[in-house]
Amino acid sequence: MAAQKRMSQNDRLRHDRLTFYKEDIDRIDKLLAEFLRLSGAKCALLIDKEGHLVTKRGELRTIDIDTISALVAGSFAATKEMARLLGEDEFTAMFHQGERDNIQLSLVGDRTLLTILFDDRTTVGMVRLYAGETAKKLADIYREAIDRPAGDSGLDQAYGSDAKKTLDKLFD
Amino acid sequence: MVQINFALKEVNCKVVYYGPGMSGKTTNLEIVHQKAPEENKGELTSISTDGDRTLFFDFMPLDLGNVAGMRTKFQLYTVPGQVYYNSTRKLVLQGVDGVIFVADSDPDKMDENIESYANLIENLEEYGKDVRELPHVLQYNKRDLPNALPVAEIDKRLNKFGVPTFEAVACTGEGVFPTLKTLAAMVLESIDKIDGRNPRKASGKPAAAPAPANAKPAPAPAPARAAAAPARAAAAPAKAAPAPARRPVAAPAAAAPAQARQVARPQAAAPARRAVAAPARAAETASSAPKGKKGKALGLVVGLSVLVIAAAAGVAFFFLGQ
Repeated sequence: MAAQKRMSQNDRLRHDRLTFYKEDIDRIDKLLAEFLRLSGAKCALLIDKEGHLVTKRGELRTIDIDTISALVAGSFAATKEMARLLGEDEFTAMFHQGERDNIQLSLVGDRTLLTILFDDRTTVGMVRLYAGETAKKLADIYREAIDRPAGDSGLDQAYGSDAKKTLDKLFD
Repeated sequence: MVQINFALKEVNCKVVYYGPGMSGKTTNLEIVHQKAPEENKGELTSISTDGDRTLFFDFMPLDLGNVAGMRTKFQLYTVPGQVYYNSTRKLVLQGVDGVIFVADSDPDKMDENIESYANLIENLEEYGKDVRELPHVLQYNKRDLPNALPVAEIDKRLNKFGVPTFEAVACTGEGVFPTLKTLAAMVLESIDKIDGRNPRKASGKPAAAPAPANAKPAPAPAPARAAAAPARAAAAPAKAAPAPARRPVAAPAAAAPAQARQVARPQAAAPARRAVAAPARAAETASSAPKGKKGKALGLVVGLSVLVIAAAAGVAFFFLGQ
């Protein structure tokens, strides 16, 4: 079923672009830092469903954040069909257990994933408990960012021309 | 969806290589990975079968570097081309900012190209996106085939919206970078277009006559055609690439390595597609369920009302009879 809708210009801007300002990220970082302190987890990443990293907190080994973000988003997306077959809209949490490290994913709002890396210094119960609370608070901040009237992106006026030069340099 | 993150000073865009199975999508990405400067590329990650067919997606981050103070990154994905993997394709398309549709120039694959392009349009619609408003280009791959369809013929049957087209031989790298460069420029241009400060708003109309990606002057509706004879489009287009990028367009494609061309098309395609469509139908049924409940409740209220009226009438007749 085609879900095509006529969107206002403002809706379309919000649909096509998501802007995070420093104040948003500062608030999110503060929440994530508090979450890590309470839960004992190693690291928390906030990733949108498109696979883009929003922000991260905690200790990270030299892992490729871009790839992790894409795979987390892909793995979460893959469960959506499973959920649908069970009559659910989508699953709101996922857990991957390793020998040493584990990953807990929690849906924040309807388009972001709180990704938590933790080891045996804490327990999955502690992580899940605090992840649930944190996800709710993050959803509020995220909603504010999404509902913000979409206007000027705030990008430098020279962005367009600089982008062209960069592409020329990279591809020629 | 383009993500602009002022805290990380990053702009992130998602680009998907789309198209029928074996048309060369993964080969395109492999070439980009091989040839992109070390400092600009991340790892190429593939979720594929033992036979190297893409199962979920291939992924590679491409870092353009600093653009006006913002680190600009493209996340490049491919989708599995086989018809029966539509659920997966749809998932990978979520939040896409630009599409490179890799079409196969083999005459026997033309129907698959058309079917895949229609599938792209359909899947985008499910996300509320109009293909005409999404930056996209077409890449006609496997131009080295001795019986490759003429570009004009593919153009006529596939390029419904007059988007920029490129000839390519992905397995040799020919045409791969010009295609990506033009699409990348279109995506970055679209950021400006949707920007409130920019007077050039997206019109929502397809690019009627995108400037040809190649440097040669060509008739507007068939950009890549002019390059067909002496110099392949792949060889020339780079210099003129920013121009077509101004045009809003979109369309995915898929390419396959020429040497693997003989792989038979899965015959189970049609039924598999139906199977994939089933959850959607189930969802529709589920969404109509509340309407059924409402109907039942209404019927109950009407039935009760009739009973009450009948009882009242009976009582009235009884007393009148007295």
